[in-house]
Amino acid sequence: MRRRQLAALVRKDLRLELRTRETIVAMVLFAIVMLAILQFGFGTRDDDLTRFVGGLMWVTLAFTAVLGVGRSYVAEREQRVLDGLLVSPVPRVVMMSAKAIAIFLYMTVVEVVVIPLVGIFFVKGPYWESIGWIAIAALLANLCIALAGTLFSGLALFTRARDLILPVLFLPALVPVVIAAAGATYSVAGGPHDMSEWRGYCLFLLAYAILFSLVSVATYDAVFDD
Amino acid sequence: MTEGPARMPGERAAVIWGSIATLLVVVSTIGIFLVAPEDADQGVIQRIFYFHVAIAIASLVAFAVACVAGILYLRTRNDRWDDVGEASIRIGLLFSVLVVITGSIWAKASWGTWWVWSDPRLVTYLIVVLIYAAYFVLRSSAEDDRKMRYSAIYAIAGFASVPLSFYSVRVAESFVHPVVFTSGGANMPGSMLIWFVVSQAAMLALFIALLEVDLVGRRSERALRRLALRLEGT
Repeated sequence: MRRRQLAALVRKDLRLELRTRETIVAMVLFAIVMLAILQFGFGTRDDDLTRFVGGLMWVTLAFTAVLGVGRSYVAEREQRVLDGLLVSPVPRVVMMSAKAIAIFLYMTVVEVVVIPLVGIFFVKGPYWESIGWIAIAALLANLCIALAGTLFSGLALFTRARDLILPVLFLPALVPVVIAAAGATYSVAGGPHDMSEWRGYCLFLLAYAILFSLVSVATYDAVFDD
Repeated sequence: MTEGPARMPGERAAVIWGSIATLLVVVSTIGIFLVAPEDADQGVIQRIFYFHVAIAIASLVAFAVACVAGILYLRTRNDRWDDVGEASIRIGLLFSVLVVITGSIWAKASWGTWWVWSDPRLVTYLIVVLIYAAYFVLRSSAEDDRKMRYSAIYAIAGFASVPLSFYSVRVAESFVHPVVFTSGGANMPGSMLIWFVVSQAAMLALFIALLEVDLVGRRSERALRRLALRLEGT
């Protein structure tokens, strides 16, 4: 029963996105613009920016995540879908998990564009192998972003100045994810191709995801307890 | 009616803990500056460690108390737990800012610079400060029941970030930050350890005293508001 509810809610989010193409297209464009701005911001003409590959990519993706997570409840709020969902017999935890899955998928689509793009400019050594290792770290980071993002966007939803509140709540919690994901990216793409370092960072991302999934399970029910 | 001035519940506890904290802070300060041996390596600046580490541990205890209060609030919906949670985070945040400041002073004396971005523990403590500062932003922009509920949820989620901050130290394998406590025990002689323990007790007592004072203040404020309402009614 719960699985069917979860599948239906995820389908609802994806169908809405496929019809409007509002969120993902904006996220991809934002990520590309952000990468370009960072590139210009560093102001290097001939310096090698490979050292900063992880930082450049994950700062971009963290801000893109804030944008996507902020948009994730817009339809529910503006078209009063949330009222309908809250009176339906769907457990809150299922509702929030569906949102987390949708955010995870949005981020994955953005990264399908961003990671190869960053790779073309910065990856040293075997291209596809490095991209593959970065992608695994990115999937783990997406899991962290989706779990924490769903919780914080739920909290920000009914606050005053919610567009400001979300980044203030979400970005500090994302810092460990950015540190670890950037470290993992650098270790396989820009630096010495150190797989033990990559493994360490990935384990950290996994620990973060496990911890936040426990927090999510414990608190998702209380977020929409109106 | 009883004779004498009416006391708020918890007032006596606040006075007792306040006295214990004052005594311990005075004793530990004297001990740290006059009795504890000077570190052969770092000299006088090492004495800041007794405050730095003790405040850091006390701030973590404050955040843990806020997390437990958050869980209890979500289970019972009793306003009292919201009071405990908010007061704990307020004190914890104050302590965390002191940790960053004392750490920064230590960094200047030891490494010649106020801030070392390559030291994950100092940096992640800054993140902890940012996380708990956001708690008050969230609190100020939500109303009534939602304010308490969101604060409780955020206190739980915020506390989850604390072990992550410590775990990140092990991942990044910093060789900069002096690690005082390892899995093998305390990395200091007994004559230093005793003053560290006294300093730690002082900081924990200070936390409890501040918490009690804050809670008594909130109770008095509520009692005054009730009284004002009753007076308006008559």
